Amino acid sequence: MRRYNITVGDKEFDITVTYKSEKYHVTCNGKKMEAVAHFLGESRALLLIDGESHEVDVRSNGYGTSKIVFMKGMELPVTVEDYNLAQLRKTAGMTSESSIDKVLKAAMPGMVLDIKVQPGDTVRKGEPLLVLEAMKMENIIKSPGNAAVKAVHIQKGQSVEKGDSLLEFE
Amino acid sequence: MNRKIRKILIANRGEIAVRVMRACRDLGITSVAVFSDCDHTAYHVRMADEAYHIGPSPSTESYLVHDKIIEVAKKSKADAIHPGYGFLAENADFAQRCVDEGIIFIGPTPRTIRLLGDKLQARATALKAGLPVTPGGEFDAGDTEEAAKLAGKIGYPVLVKAAAGGGGKGMRVVTEPDSLPAALETASREAASAFGDGRVYIEKYLTRPRHIEFQILCDEHGNCIHLFERECSIQRRHQKVIEESPSPVMTPELRKEMGAAAVNIAKASGYVGAGTVEFLVDEDLSYYFLEVNTRLQVEHPVTEMVTGLDLVREQIAIAEGNKLSFGQDEVSQNGHAIECRIYAEDPEAGFMPSTGILKNYRMPAGPGVRVDSGVVIFNEIPIYYDPMIAKLIIWGANRTEAIHRTRRALEEYRISGVKTTIGFHRVIMDNKKFIAGDISTKFLNEEYPDNNYTLLDDNLCERAAVAAALQTFTKERQIAVQPVNSKQKSQWVTIHRKANLRTFTGSR
Repeated sequence: MRRYNITVGDKEFDITVTYKSEKYHVTCNGKKMEAVAHFLGESRALLLIDGESHEVDVRSNGYGTSKIVFMKGMELPVTVEDYNLAQLRKTAGMTSESSIDKVLKAAMPGMVLDIKVQPGDTVRKGEPLLVLEAMKMENIIKSPGNAAVKAVHIQKGQSVEKGDSLLEFE
Repeated sequence: MNRKIRKILIANRGEIAVRVMRACRDLGITSVAVFSDCDHTAYHVRMADEAYHIGPSPSTESYLVHDKIIEVAKKSKADAIHPGYGFLAENADFAQRCVDEGIIFIGPTPRTIRLLGDKLQARATALKAGLPVTPGGEFDAGDTEEAAKLAGKIGYPVLVKAAAGGGGKGMRVVTEPDSLPAALETASREAASAFGDGRVYIEKYLTRPRHIEFQILCDEHGNCIHLFERECSIQRRHQKVIEESPSPVMTPELRKEMGAAAVNIAKASGYVGAGTVEFLVDEDLSYYFLEVNTRLQVEHPVTEMVTGLDLVREQIAIAEGNKLSFGQDEVSQNGHAIECRIYAEDPEAGFMPSTGILKNYRMPAGPGVRVDSGVVIFNEIPIYYDPMIAKLIIWGANRTEAIHRTRRALEEYRISGVKTTIGFHRVIMDNKKFIAGDISTKFLNEEYPDNNYTLLDDNLCERAAVAAALQTFTKERQIAVQPVNSKQKSQWVTIHRKANLRTFTGSR
């Protein structure tokens, strides 16, 4: 048996899984369900959860415990942690977002229109960090998690290439 | 007058290039694609009969270079060039160049493009043709004092617009007289840098208008008809995201009146080809001419779905010098169509473009579903162009059926690798005001300020959590991580081989 602490957006799930006679027995926040899974390679799977059919694609999101689940035409941000480790982490007062990348890189080439933070600032998840003009549009780059800004590597008006380091977190 | 077109160069990429090539195939016309560095494996290159490389990825060095397009047209001996939308579609200089080189430009004449591309001239043409225009100036508002007088007369709020404008650039909403001079100045400066033309003008700003446009078709023999309306009020940053036909507010009388107005301005501007006359419609259903788009629009399929016509086919027939094969009385609207533009953008991060490789890509299908896709699986969404993946176009017997079917198709879509606007569209299809047809160009701002789209319902979250748990568990325990059919050999293989064997031995 394995027990996980899983978050989807801002919702939290306590899930245990056991595998017995070709079926998964799942308890999700106290609710029991049975599942059959066929994996098509590493990430894609056909699931029957209590007979309900789902085609899903579970991909790791580049770092740590973060994953993206693609299902029903949607993409859901998910974190998967071992239940006991998650309890330890919570007791220690850490948020799971502390596992964000230390360096924020440009996802596309563009021009820096505005920088909203400076070294030493603490930011919460979703807080705007900077404004990048790319593809003729102004894009607000938000913080991937709760973190402290260690360094800002760019200046207002500067052009950046894809993959350039924009800022660093503690 | 009749010129037979046997080969068409499509000076575009993505879904519209594929769309035009399909019409070419249907007509037995050979299609020629052009492509940039990053588009070597693009869908439009695979779809074309011939394809030629035209340079580096930035469009200013490839898809927008007149010389390169003309060179390929000559090398491939193309009779005509279809510009699609965007890129060179409304470029009068390019259209003139085609004429000079003896290549048919599939679109209106350079003179018409120039006339209607200038908003002040288009307004003047509309007035002359008897169309209602938003109260305001048919003059260059460079003179601040004159502008203030006019603004006072028509009443605030007013809109300052660039004569050469487009895409919201050089546009300013002014709510009170004090901020008018500054708005005129910044709008003019913005317009000068964006379009090389600093002329601006003022018109009445409608606070909650609908955007309703009429499709027109005109041949060079003076026949001109309209193919009814499209409602395109669901917009984000002046970009349409959902379009439908018919409009939920349209009445037969208003349709007749606005359709006639659209035909009138087309005739007044010497229009030949397919085009769109755009209007703003106020809450009391009074309507005002906005502009004419001298190209095939992104949203043209909704008109095709309700009229049963193929607009690209009509464009080609008109370019060949043929008369329209049907009159106004022979076209009708059947059912209801909705188009959702599926973008590689993240709705929860302010619609930031999301680039990457499509690791999984499966399109919806079934009754009433049409997907005009610009990509196939394992294609990359490049950073250089508009990040549209596909257009999902749905037909239903009525609006309610079309909305239900759109929901179904959105859920059937499977895309992984990039973030998409599928979830956003799914949310809109559940919005009570949208369902009631109570929409305006302010809809998204009013309903979802700060882009607060609640995309994740509880049940879906729970299923996603279980899916992630099962995947992690299986990976950790190494249970059966293997393709489904690896244990037993598929019977289809055997059947297929037997069938082949029969063919070879001639026993069939």
